[in-house]
Amino acid sequence: MSLKNKACIVGIGSTEFTRNAGRSEIHLAVDAVTAACVDAGLEIDQIDGMSSYGTAGIYAAELAPDIDVARSLGIPNLRYFGQTPWGGGASCGVVAHAAMAVASGVANYVVCYRSLKPASGTVRYGRPTAIPAEYRYSYYMPYGFASPTMWVATMAKRWMHETGATREQLGYVALVSRENALRNPRAMFYGRPLTMEEYLHSPMSSDPFTLHDTCLENDGAVALIVTTPERARDLKQKPAFIAGVGFGTSYDSHSMTSFYRDSIGLPECTEAAREVFRMAELTQKDIDVAQLYDAFTATVPMQLETYGFCKYGEGGAFCQGGDRIRLGGELPINTSGGMLAEAYIHGMNMIAEGVRQVRGTSTSQVKDAQNVLVTGGLGVPTTALILTQGN
Amino acid sequence: MSIEYNPKYMKHFYDPVWENFEDGFWQGIKQRKLKFQKCSGCGTFSHPPRVRCPKCKGEGWEWVESSGKGRIYSWTVARQEVHPAFRVPFEIVLVEMENEPGVRLISNMVDCTPEEISFDMPVEVCFREVTKEWALPMFKKVGG
Ligand SMILES: [Zn+2]
Repeated sequence: MSLKNKACIVGIGSTEFTRNAGRSEIHLAVDAVTAACVDAGLEIDQIDGMSSYGTAGIYAAELAPDIDVARSLGIPNLRYFGQTPWGGGASCGVVAHAAMAVASGVANYVVCYRSLKPASGTVRYGRPTAIPAEYRYSYYMPYGFASPTMWVATMAKRWMHETGATREQLGYVALVSRENALRNPRAMFYGRPLTMEEYLHSPMSSDPFTLHDTCLENDGAVALIVTTPERARDLKQKPAFIAGVGFGTSYDSHSMTSFYRDSIGLPECTEAAREVFRMAELTQKDIDVAQLYDAFTATVPMQLETYGFCKYGEGGAFCQGGDRIRLGGELPINTSGGMLAEAYIHGMNMIAEGVRQVRGTSTSQVKDAQNVLVTGGLGVPTTALILTQGN
Repeated sequence: MSIEYNPKYMKHFYDPVWENFEDGFWQGIKQRKLKFQKCSGCGTFSHPPRVRCPKCKGEGWEWVESSGKGRIYSWTVARQEVHPAFRVPFEIVLVEMENEPGVRLISNMVDCTPEEISFDMPVEVCFREVTKEWALPMFKKVGG
């Protein structure tokens, strides 16, 4: 019994990505779900499940809850609803839950979505307004240690110290993402090139990160529709098969503050990687293109290590010069521009890009892409997906 | 240089949320003592505290006072404001405690510039009052 190829993504939908959407998170979600239904060739009323996610603890307010989105869409009943915590770490897990729901017959068509409005809304990621009630933040917030950028910077700085990775190597991650965004008219940074010179001379926000090392802040929503391969046959699009899913926590996992294990690292990814490759019955060599969660540049080489594309300590060198990770290289990454250069939708946009690669419709299409790895957020409990042609 | 607090935002950030957790760390802090949770069964330290020991699964804990000595394990320098409560730039340090294996503590330095901080630099704890009720454990250079 395996979940392999028991479900597929048959629709993707998105709003525009913008600095000011001019409408609510619920409205953005409604628009993205509607676009995903049109893409799939489904009626809204066929949707009978919703899988969504939020940020447990730190930014408690979730402003597009499933029942409100369903109500605004006029969906009479949800036979399945599920929510996954840990912010971007949940992204691929949200799809995994949808896959489990349709494979088990709990629902037929499950929508996964994320709707965010940090650029113009009231909840701004990285800008806390008070100490959260969850007990663990008492150990951090009073010291001004109050944003994901600072938390991940502290992990990344140690990793750079241990491995010898350089700022220039991180810079190539930013540059390659930007190259991909220049081909993607949806991207926030479409038409805005970045040079290594600019990258290296940009002021630090939280050492070792500059603004070019951290993801965009934008409004927007992305939705996906998951169903069974049998139902997919009656729909419009070529399905992206969910060949593998992986969840990972690790010894002494915290949410972005896992500072207490032997090597801080990203052991959650190692766990998720083992699971996702095992289920898909594939290895790293089989992956044609990867969408590696990139809220921060440094976590890309750290994932190249923890997802097994290279050994610990080699991730920085893997990114040096950018040739191995750009289009045409051995592992093209973040082909929409990712969250550094397309948009920050907590990873949901990166899953949509994974679907485009399987369909052959990316603006940075990898030729004959068969197997796509997509990963969830880092430094938190994390999740991963392998999407394939289903052969 | 050290972190500067804007008193206007005291309530937002400086009152630890410890009442819901039987947390001897904060009870120690009130007496200007740095204490960590130690398993009375097998001696494993844990920070932040837990209900059950990850090694022996025991629930017997004691709160033992630390020597306060440690070394810089990692750090960052906040240069972009995240909240007006904290005036940038200021440094955040992750200190690996010398006598409590597995315990690291996030804090601030009180006596050095960001440029002076380096990996494995020896430091020791001191207490700095941030509100009338609270002093927080912070670190200074050893011999500084
Ligand atoms: Zn024990």
